[in-house]
Amino acid sequence: MVTGATAPGKKSLQTTLEISRAVKAYYGGVQAAKQEGKPIVWSYGLIPREIFHAVGAPVIYLEHLPLLMSTKQLSGRYCQIAEEEGFSRDVCAFHRCFIGCAAEEEKHPYLAKFWAPPDLIVASNLPCMSESKSFLYAANHFNCPYFFIDAPINIWGKEIPDYAVEYYAGQLGEALDFLGGYGYRLDWAKLKEAVALSRRLVYLWREIDEYRKAIPAPMGIVDGLTCAFPLIQLPGTKLGVELYERLRDEIKERVENKIGVLEEEKLRLLWIGVPPFYNMGLLNYPEQYGAIVVKSFVEYLAGGAFDPAIMDPEKPLESLATKALVDIVNPTYQNMIDFAVQTAKDFSVDGQIALVKRSCGLIPGVLRLVKDAVYQADGIPTTIFDLDGMDLREYDDAATKANIDSFIETLLDSKRRG
Amino acid sequence: MSTIDTMRDILHNPERLVADWKAQGKKIVGYRCIYVPEEIIWAAGMWPYPIFGTPEAITQADSYFQPCTCEFIRNIFDHALDGKLNFLDGLVLCNTCDAVRHLYDMWITYIKVPDCHIINNPQKMYDESGYKYYCVELKRFKSEMENLSGNGISDESLQSAINLHNQTRGLLKELYSLRKKDPPLISGGEALDIVMASMLMPKDKCNQQLQQLIAEVKTRESPKTRGPRILITGSIIDDPTLIQLVEEVGGVVVADDLCTTTKYFWQEVGQNKDPLDALSRYNTERCLCSCMHPPERRFDYLWELIEEFGANGVIYFNLKYCHPFLYEAALFREKLAAKDVPTLMLEVDHSLSGLGQLRTRIQAFIEML
Ligand code: SF4
Ligand code: SF4
Repeated sequence: MVTGATAPGKKSLQTTLEISRAVKAYYGGVQAAKQEGKPIVWSYGLIPREIFHAVGAPVIYLEHLPLLMSTKQLSGRYCQIAEEEGFSRDVCAFHRCFIGCAAEEEKHPYLAKFWAPPDLIVASNLPCMSESKSFLYAANHFNCPYFFIDAPINIWGKEIPDYAVEYYAGQLGEALDFLGGYGYRLDWAKLKEAVALSRRLVYLWREIDEYRKAIPAPMGIVDGLTCAFPLIQLPGTKLGVELYERLRDEIKERVENKIGVLEEEKLRLLWIGVPPFYNMGLLNYPEQYGAIVVKSFVEYLAGGAFDPAIMDPEKPLESLATKALVDIVNPTYQNMIDFAVQTAKDFSVDGQIALVKRSCGLIPGVLRLVKDAVYQADGIPTTIFDLDGMDLREYDDAATKANIDSFIETLLDSKRRG
Repeated sequence: MSTIDTMRDILHNPERLVADWKAQGKKIVGYRCIYVPEEIIWAAGMWPYPIFGTPEAITQADSYFQPCTCEFIRNIFDHALDGKLNFLDGLVLCNTCDAVRHLYDMWITYIKVPDCHIINNPQKMYDESGYKYYCVELKRFKSEMENLSGNGISDESLQSAINLHNQTRGLLKELYSLRKKDPPLISGGEALDIVMASMLMPKDKCNQQLQQLIAEVKTRESPKTRGPRILITGSIIDDPTLIQLVEEVGGVVVADDLCTTTKYFWQEVGQNKDPLDALSRYNTERCLCSCMHPPERRFDYLWELIEEFGANGVIYFNLKYCHPFLYEAALFREKLAAKDVPTLMLEVDHSLSGLGQLRTRIQAFIEML
């Protein structure tokens, strides 16, 4: 259902279309594997994807399927089904949507394009309680075995101590043993290759980010969100690297030719929190004021905000463990706050739009911290308001736009006054 | 004053005890939650002081936390902002839910004094690698407490702290056995107050009071009222209003699976020649909280309580936005239904707004039993 209040977002890049096709092909591959009788893995939490690619396991990630449902305005329907199954409206709408997809008896034709039931589950508590708990429903519903990976929170900052790396890496090894028990045998050479490819992917992502800092912005948030797919789901694959090489080339050309999304950029904004996937058009809404949303924090939520030099293909499990634990989404939040301050500065933003997704246990808790830190560092203001980017039923278009209008008008006004 | 009244008085007015303790030049370390090993704090010569909430509305904390954060945590932060926790010399948190992790960040950013520590405990129980990792974490924590107190912690002092705390656990368990009677000799509201007071009091004082209390309760006459025997499980309850409500409408609360009651004392720290190792084992083999894995073990423990206390029905209490318990609610309801245990699911805020509606729902449940 597309209501008057929802509209698709505008994309400007050729590579974005290729990545969209890669998404469809990815799920096509999972469904083909199911038909061949291969066990399908469902994975929850930000477990390093490289382990699955290294053993050739077809995986559906919780983080992505609800997002696809939301782009077709189906997330509210699936949240509703989960609530009928006994889940509170206060728990994460991503997870409710996923649970709803699992529980629906006759799959909606759009869901059917991406759907494959699980044979195995590999879950983790990184970064939030939702990740660590909602999979229990699926394990029970489909009666399938699961392996749980416990991630220590990051209380250390940029340097993760050996005992924590060892603990997490050990569990990744056990998860690989678990997968091995279902036919997905580990070949160490492949795992090392996956880590090397993953490192290359993050280097490319950082190079792309460097171009994205240009004024005018060569690429906006709608493209950015689609283009985050390889970072989130394809680390450790050749395909991910190829797609980012193409993206890098395309964006480089735009920057060299000074092609921006907007002809005249009056304001540059950063988007913090879950964007309304059911109404991506909202992300273009500020453009009528000459304001461009240059970047979304969600793009970093599964990696890409760390120094890829920490990855050493010769120590694959330790590298993946370090990468996971140092990730900015792993509480506690000093890394995320530092990163937010740096990003706001590097992208030359004038203001930040931060959303409270009421049902999220993670992001709302850091908004005040990020707001204060970014303001103290560079005087950049942040507006914070309610918007559940996943559950369309919670969306109030008029209130959302009024919040954006007043924030942008204030920013423009203060810019005029110098 | 009866012993229970003395204990309640300490729970509600701990200021005098706090002042006495401080007058001896000793430190007080606040903590949250049951996975913080109090014994280490005690062995360093400090008073491990559990932080509870109060049923007051949130004021200042709402400009730091979004309203979709567990109200219990916002309530605690409100107290910190108000200066009500200024008597603490340190605060220790542990790795449980999202809200507690946020509390840590908020505390170190906006409260700063006293120092806040966090124990990075594993959330996967009964796992040898988790246990090994936790041993290192506990050593780190031990040395942090040594630094804070200025006292070294010897194996002997740690062992004696374990013995003292085990004695409290044993006494509380003995007291709880008096709830197995039909009707039980103490009410649910009383039990909550007693356990919370026991958690709060320095254990040497507490154990004397508990011994006295058990002797007093044993001489009580059996109450006349009977009703369906109820077990309450779920998120934290730190005020007896809800339990009293169940009892007012005819339920008899015979047991509770809460972090302010049985979760605190049901298991004892084992004997081991290395006391730190004993604590590591203890805290990695106690799957009592829904933040931990695997949930099957938590259900086993709940089932043990249901059977031991002869509960006829379960009230599963969820604080709003308490994600760990909310996620497990559907699973637990199904498991309980499979065992023919009627269950009422409640989702309520910490200040218990909408009490009238709550009363009607609980009453209907009790009548149905
Ligand atoms: S971080 Fe927030 S939105 Fe993401 S899964 Fe966790 S609760 Fe949901
Ligand atoms: S009540 Fe729930 S959300 Fe709140 S602190 Fe306890 S476990 Fe966390």
